[in-house]
Amino acid sequence: MAAAHDEAAAWSEEAARRVWGGAVPLQVHLHDADVTALPPPPPFLTLGPRIGYLPLLIPVIKAHFSNALPPGVDTVWFEYKGLPLKWYVPIGVLFDLLCADPERPWNLIVHFRGYPSEVLSPCEGEDSVKWSYMNSLKEATFIITGNSKSVMNMSQADQVALWEFVMKGNLDGYKNVSTRLKLGTFEEDGLVRTASTECQRQQSSDEPESPGSGKPCRVPVRLYVRGVQEDLEDIEDAMPVSDWENVSYINRPFEIRKVEGRSYITLEHALQTLLPEFFRSEPQHAEKLGSAAGDSDTTSSQEAEPAPASLREADIAKKAKVKLVRVQGIELGMDIPFLWVANNLKNPEYYLHICVYVGTRKQ
Amino acid sequence: MAAEADQKVVVHVRSTGDAPILKQSKFKISGRDKFLKVIEFLRRQLHQDTLFVYINSAFSPNPDELVIDLYNNFGIDGKLVVNYALSAAWG
Repeated sequence: MAAAHDEAAAWSEEAARRVWGGAVPLQVHLHDADVTALPPPPPFLTLGPRIGYLPLLIPVIKAHFSNALPPGVDTVWFEYKGLPLKWYVPIGVLFDLLCADPERPWNLIVHFRGYPSEVLSPCEGEDSVKWSYMNSLKEATFIITGNSKSVMNMSQADQVALWEFVMKGNLDGYKNVSTRLKLGTFEEDGLVRTASTECQRQQSSDEPESPGSGKPCRVPVRLYVRGVQEDLEDIEDAMPVSDWENVSYINRPFEIRKVEGRSYITLEHALQTLLPEFFRSEPQHAEKLGSAAGDSDTTSSQEAEPAPASLREADIAKKAKVKLVRVQGIELGMDIPFLWVANNLKNPEYYLHICVYVGTRKQ
Repeated sequence: MAAEADQKVVVHVRSTGDAPILKQSKFKISGRDKFLKVIEFLRRQLHQDTLFVYINSAFSPNPDELVIDLYNNFGIDGKLVVNYALSAAWG
């Protein structure tokens, strides 16, 4: 028993090291309009940590291009194939989501002027990223424990240290400080192992309106669902994302419920629960379409009757087929234990980021 | 059971610190809207360019998060509690 635990721990340790050590090779080009030197400066090559954020690379990138920049105030942002990149999304997630065919190096364009504030929220470098990270951590903690106290009660020194370790990719330092959050690991019985009693106690004292506690623990998940052409034979031929409106950014925690006789929760089950609109095989819209067409009887029935041919076509047009699921650059098999994924492939703010490519007829 | 995205969500806004109190503390917003819309609404109402907006006096969500997700994940008693402050209140 102990040996099995040791083995699992060693495996998890390796997974965490690989997640933390993972990086995307970047080739950063200066946007033409920002070039004031001849010849134009060569592109800048660097490694973007998967768990890192683009604005954290600005100091080194700016140093490289400093001689070619126009005078004035810089407002730095990044672009890939015409799409301004959301700075609060981890670099690894941007790469997994936007590069159907992992392009190495990843060619990005850096802009120092003309911030697209209608698409991107304002960013003031590291301060903004730190703010975003700490708030995501509090949000994830709220999902897991029912409040954000374990982060808010952390000393300022610990919070600063935690952020520095994340920024520098120092896993050992991070593990040391983050244990003080007492968030533990997710278990199949629906409890967080090292913090199970803590979790329940806090829930019952903080939420008098919902007594009895015993609430299942929840896994914080951020989903990025990207539509690709349904008839696509090769995912690598997917059209580039031209607008963030084509990506659904969905935040839905996964509730761990103990089910007798089930040995573990598969990734497939978790995704079916999280994204029923994409993973369920039954028509989703038949009932609504039926009632909209004036057939009031169907609204009371549990399962929609087989829809008339015209409606069924509408269903198919709306129904999407999952083409690819990517987490930390890995194309995951559907049978893999979901909680292993959540425990070992999560980002340092305790969110599991999942990129999903779905085939849709209408782009 | 999670609420559907096209449902309207009741947002209950509460001022924190020295932020002015709004006459109307409850309003409805479409679940499909982003949280950004709540932030922009409060900025307009309060005539403030800088505003710190939180959920459940705990954290500031990403402006791109959908109101329906926030409601389903953090709603209390059928409403989403949003706190606003003129300076950072909960870090």
